[in-house]
Amino acid sequence: MSTASPNYRRKQILPVWCSGCGNYGVLRGVEKALGSLKVPAEQTVVVSGIGCSGRFSHYLDTYALHGTHGRALPIATGVKTARPDLTVLVVGGDGDSLGIGGGHLPHAARKNVDLTFLILDNQTYGLTKGQSSPTTPWGCVTKTSPYGSPEDALDVLPILLAYDVSFIARTTSLQIEKMAGIITEAIRHPGFAVVHILSPCVTYPVLPWKALRERIQPLPEEHLPSNKSAAMELAYSADPIYTGVFYSIRKPTLDARLRHLHESALKRYSAKGKAPSIPSLMERFI
Amino acid sequence: MTTGKKSFYSEVDFILRVAGEGGEGVISCGELFARAAARTEYHVFTFLTYPAEMRGGFAMVQIRVRDWTIYSLGSKLDCLVVFNQQAFDRTIKELKKGGTLVYDPQAVQPPPDLEATLLALPMTELSKKATGSVLGKNIVALGALGYLVEMKQRVLENLVGDRFAAKGAETVKHNLTALRSGYAYAAEQGWRRILLMADLRPKGSQYMLLSGNEAIALGALVAGCRFAASYPITPATPIFETLTRLFPLVEGRALQMEDEIAAVSAAIGASFAGEKALVPTSGPGLQLMTEQLNLASMIEVPLVLVDVQRGGPSTGLPTKTEQSDLNLAIYGVSGESPRIVLAPTSVEDSFYQTIRAFNLAERYQLPVIMLTDQSIGLRKATVIMPDLSHIIQLDSHVARTKVKIPQPEFINLIDRAEPTVKELQDYRRFRITADGVSPIARPGIPGCQYLATGLEHTETGHPDYTPENHLQMSRKRFRKMEVIARSFDANPIEIWGRADAKIGILGWGSTYGAIREARYLAEERGIHVRHMHPHTLSPMPHRQISNFLVRLEHVIIVEENYTGQFAHHIKAHFGVKAIELHKCEGIPITPEEILRGIEKVAGIIDEYSIAKL
Repeated sequence: MSTASPNYRRKQILPVWCSGCGNYGVLRGVEKALGSLKVPAEQTVVVSGIGCSGRFSHYLDTYALHGTHGRALPIATGVKTARPDLTVLVVGGDGDSLGIGGGHLPHAARKNVDLTFLILDNQTYGLTKGQSSPTTPWGCVTKTSPYGSPEDALDVLPILLAYDVSFIARTTSLQIEKMAGIITEAIRHPGFAVVHILSPCVTYPVLPWKALRERIQPLPEEHLPSNKSAAMELAYSADPIYTGVFYSIRKPTLDARLRHLHESALKRYSAKGKAPSIPSLMERFI
Repeated sequence: MTTGKKSFYSEVDFILRVAGEGGEGVISCGELFARAAARTEYHVFTFLTYPAEMRGGFAMVQIRVRDWTIYSLGSKLDCLVVFNQQAFDRTIKELKKGGTLVYDPQAVQPPPDLEATLLALPMTELSKKATGSVLGKNIVALGALGYLVEMKQRVLENLVGDRFAAKGAETVKHNLTALRSGYAYAAEQGWRRILLMADLRPKGSQYMLLSGNEAIALGALVAGCRFAASYPITPATPIFETLTRLFPLVEGRALQMEDEIAAVSAAIGASFAGEKALVPTSGPGLQLMTEQLNLASMIEVPLVLVDVQRGGPSTGLPTKTEQSDLNLAIYGVSGESPRIVLAPTSVEDSFYQTIRAFNLAERYQLPVIMLTDQSIGLRKATVIMPDLSHIIQLDSHVARTKVKIPQPEFINLIDRAEPTVKELQDYRRFRITADGVSPIARPGIPGCQYLATGLEHTETGHPDYTPENHLQMSRKRFRKMEVIARSFDANPIEIWGRADAKIGILGWGSTYGAIREARYLAEERGIHVRHMHPHTLSPMPHRQISNFLVRLEHVIIVEENYTGQFAHHIKAHFGVKAIELHKCEGIPITPEEILRGIEKVAGIIDEYSIAKL
């Protein structure tokens, strides 16, 4: 495998996505991002959950784990903790990330585990043919809300800000070049990076492409990604829907935190900081 | 391991219980006594009852000290130390006639007609006098106990020094003063000594004093596990606590996750990435983890889960013992997915079975669930320090082709086998092989990138729902179970008792010691009993169990649950009629209870009396 011009497509498996699906765009965006960073395919792991977005890991010729619904984040946390040398991408839909797996998000943020998490938000359960999801707006008619959805939609970015995710961006599958740039930045970010990708479903549209195209607008140029309260204000805006990097700060990654534990444990164990042998650890139980 | 009747008799065999209220230092008093006994080369076996709450409620620790292998907690107490009236009322009936009662006269009024040696120990008062606080009364009691069994004061002093060193010189000083005042008080009062433990008989081996939970943590460490993920749950938490202390010293990583599902998920991720991973939990946690168990079976990652069973169902009895997760461990999952279920029989066995669990997981690439329970998890017992220079590292290719029967004096460690050069040429992660095990590549190896999906897939890992493929891949995954079951024939399960005995007992897990002692008691009464205690509950060592069963007239299946889960398992597999002996009270079954069962069975003359048992 040549790393000069890596090819990241697993050609033997054909996508199950509908024609015109935004996920094709995201797939190209990820390929471009990995290519521009020259990450070797064998050093990359893609972990995904269930749904249309879950199939994402099938189509990239990297090490890939297509797991259960909602658990992509904790699985990826295990991969990255065991092997900090790997580049780990996590892909989830709105159901994966905010419904069944919504409880895992704050904890990945607390650990600041060095993952790039792509939330492919199409505001519906597309693979199972159009049920309402955590980001389906109130009143929206779906297969499971024939008289209109009785619940509010979750507002994704303010949640990520409240959890203090260390890199937060939004993009859409309409703009592949911009998306690739943002994903590149997210992969490069040392820590937990979440990219909220608006990618409307063409078959069960909740927010149709046309409406999205009219509402998206880049973040104001003067916005500083270190300014959390400004980011919060912009994140709450429903029209325009801002795209770009809302928030980016540096804090120690999980790997750094665990290496620190290792060093302090050794220091407490012996003045010279020498690692103990297994027999000497067992002798402590006499 | 020693076998035969001779080993049942020994010169020192002493049972002590310390009882009081949670927060009074009852457990640490008993624990220190047990450790002191272990340091003087005695075998020790303990049982604890913590109150469910942090403070208040009944707490007790029972310790059996013997100069030979101990199989159970024993029955009546030789000595009882009580801190308050409630503890006295609850436990006095357990004291042997003519036993010794040590009590705090300020808190306990024993009736004058008690058939026991009464020793008043004003521990609260002595503690106040010696240290200015009542907090040292458990150490006062420890000192007095040390005098009573004639344990060298120096052994106790060194121990107290080690135990409190981390809390500073002042604390050590206070506790030493408390210890000496207890020792001196007993001497002044002229207590008659009930035992002589000062007689050190070095046997050339060192004893660790471990809980079953600690033994599992150390087993994982020795097996080469360097990743653990968990969510705290009684009574399994000490496994993870021990690992969080030890792992950072050896560059291992222990992650406390947000829930059990996240914990098992992280372990699956770590194992996929190439690390040996451990997930300690208890029943309610295993129940949540079943969500991910079939993913591990489906994508064929090695994984070790430990369920330290507690009383169920639901929140149940978190601090009590029960063997009621067997069905969950063997069957609990959607669809059909292979996994191995092991059950260690003692604290020491917990150490070795953990190593075996990792070996099986790595060799066969599937989840291994180890079922222990509160009684062995929290109990402390002496474990002989293994000779770690006798550890051989094997990769699973070597293990597969060369090692058929492990050498008894060596500990084999099986590591994951990377694909061979030949396998790399046409790499298929889920290649169909004779034993169902396929070459497993860890991320980073160029040219082996593969998709691990929970969807039904082909040899290459690509999704495929065709009828032929589903059947062929199901066969591939279950072929591993058949190979494992056959592999048991190379390592016969031990059977104890006379070959011509007509009564046989089958048990699993922590009931091993009680059954063994019940067999000795039955033999003393002229009833011969055979005993088999398989370590592997799934897949079943089929041939060996059926050979055992076929020679018997009566089979007794002993377990600590209400419905008889193991008995159902045995009946379903072997079509035998078995007599079920259950205990479902949250406490371990005793040798006497099993003996009563054996005696009834020995007197059975027709089917009707079996039904009445």
